[in-house]
Amino acid sequence: IMLKGMTRLVSRVHKAKHGEQHVGQHYNISIQELKTVFPHGLPPRFVMQVKTFNEACLMVRKPALELLHYLKNTNFAHPAVRYVLYGEKGTGKTLSLCHIIHFCAKQDWLILHIPDAHLWVKNCRDLLQSTYNKQRFDQPLEASVWLKNFKTANERFLSQIKVQDKYVWNKRESTEKGSPLAEVVEQGIMRVRNATDAVGIVLKELKRQSSLGIFRLLVAVDGVNALWGRTTLKREDKSLIAPEELALIYNLRKMVKNDWQGGAIVLTVSQTGSLFKPRKAYLPQELLGKEGFDTLDPFIPILVSNYNPKEFEACIQYYLENSWLQHEKAHTEEGKKELLFLSNRNPGLLERLCAYL
Amino acid sequence: MAAPTVKVALGWSGLGLGVRRAALRLPGLVQVRWSRYGPEYQDPQTDKEYYRKPLAQLTEEETYERELRKTQVIKAAPATKTCSVFEDPVISKFTNMMMKGGNKILARSLMTQTLEAVKRKQFEKYHAASAEEQATIERNPYTIFHQALKNCEPVIGLVPILKGGHFYQVPVPLADRRRRFLAMKWMITECREKKPRRMLMPEKLSQELLEAFYNRGPVIKRKHDMHKMAEANRALAHYRWW
Repeated sequence: IMLKGMTRLVSRVHKAKHGEQHVGQHYNISIQELKTVFPHGLPPRFVMQVKTFNEACLMVRKPALELLHYLKNTNFAHPAVRYVLYGEKGTGKTLSLCHIIHFCAKQDWLILHIPDAHLWVKNCRDLLQSTYNKQRFDQPLEASVWLKNFKTANERFLSQIKVQDKYVWNKRESTEKGSPLAEVVEQGIMRVRNATDAVGIVLKELKRQSSLGIFRLLVAVDGVNALWGRTTLKREDKSLIAPEELALIYNLRKMVKNDWQGGAIVLTVSQTGSLFKPRKAYLPQELLGKEGFDTLDPFIPILVSNYNPKEFEACIQYYLENSWLQHEKAHTEEGKKELLFLSNRNPGLLERLCAYL
Repeated sequence: MAAPTVKVALGWSGLGLGVRRAALRLPGLVQVRWSRYGPEYQDPQTDKEYYRKPLAQLTEEETYERELRKTQVIKAAPATKTCSVFEDPVISKFTNMMMKGGNKILARSLMTQTLEAVKRKQFEKYHAASAEEQATIERNPYTIFHQALKNCEPVIGLVPILKGGHFYQVPVPLADRRRRFLAMKWMITECREKKPRRMLMPEKLSQELLEAFYNRGPVIKRKHDMHKMAEANRALAHYRWW
């Protein structure tokens, strides 16, 4: 039985007014906003779902609400607080992070979103020796892709923020003091060889200037355990590279330290892309390792768990509304009980099950 | 092949109680493709609804059947047969035919990815279509799968019959199970062989299933070729003796 044509049973809530009573309800993000706020960073299966349904709907859940409450009450004079979202595989850490980012984008914060830090420590085709510091390595491809997406997400800020130092790229090109940040980003996108250095400059400038109060900075990193783990990248003489020797990782570590004011740092630890970590590890201590845990030390951990019964029902209702569950038996009580049993209320598993039913 | 697969074996040694004798009883032949269960073994009943019926509501035959099953020996249910509401015997058979080297996990994941791909393609078509067309577009991957296989089933088949030292292709009516088997076999061979190099199986299979659903595409063409050959060899129909 298709529910098309009936009025929407699942209510859509205006996002800024999310409260405790909205747990389990979905809210809509328009597709244009999606393109500007999330040029990268959404999980691939969610992107497929958005394409199929022609609408992006996130569920309001408790961990995200908790974080929103903290963010609403941050004191921007104090150093940035670090929040770490952790949980088992498929519980919704990345989507909660995206919820937070969308909220902050609506509130006009500057979003520094690294979609998956694991992509920077593995499978890199071209590693160049860094022009700035001979000991470190550059990753031109990843850096230029990230710069392009950063530009799409934060167009309006790039012209407002002025660079406070002179940067010389090579014999012919340099960026003067006081020119907008957009120029640095352009330089990074066009000259791919200097892209990593451009990223480093962007991070340094944003960190310095966020304390001044012109804008509020949100640093969102998915898979932050990649910064302190091991890499699978090798030098020409086949010796392993430590993460510190990658310029991107080095600069990102400085960003995640809480020695700046005027914003917040929201992080996710995930095992899915991680290297050399056991499959069942999900606690921050296990995934970050000793070094990472000590560096991040005063942080607020937020557990993201499986759906509770109300959220599970809401999710099934959402799928039924969009006629995603096409199997005749999926509409019955028996079918729902079976889905509950098979997925154990895990959001990721439920999504994969409903995809072929 | 009309005759059941019996391979000639010399005599038969003393076999145990539950072992079945060849149904045809051709002298000197022992059946090779058989099951170790004797005729007294009953098939397992995995339907939850059957057991949920309260005892008061059962008719006389059903109460008799229940009492009988308490004393009869029952075969062990195979691992693939579940009491899940989402189970489909056709899908299971197709998955088994797609399986290579016993890798059921891979075959099943390919099957689920195919169903998902079919669903997503139909949803795209649905959203792009106007209101009248939306009523005609079928989005249930299971109905599409069943209908596509039904459309691919040949009505009549060819069997090589030896007469006068030559093999002649004789048109012959096919049993239901043979037709279903041929439809699935043609679908799988088509997808395996005519696939472009970098295309994955789920994508190709979903493409072929959708085309077969609309009665076009290479598998339907193969079915029509089979029918035409049977029509062409009409004269040899007398060679059939069953």
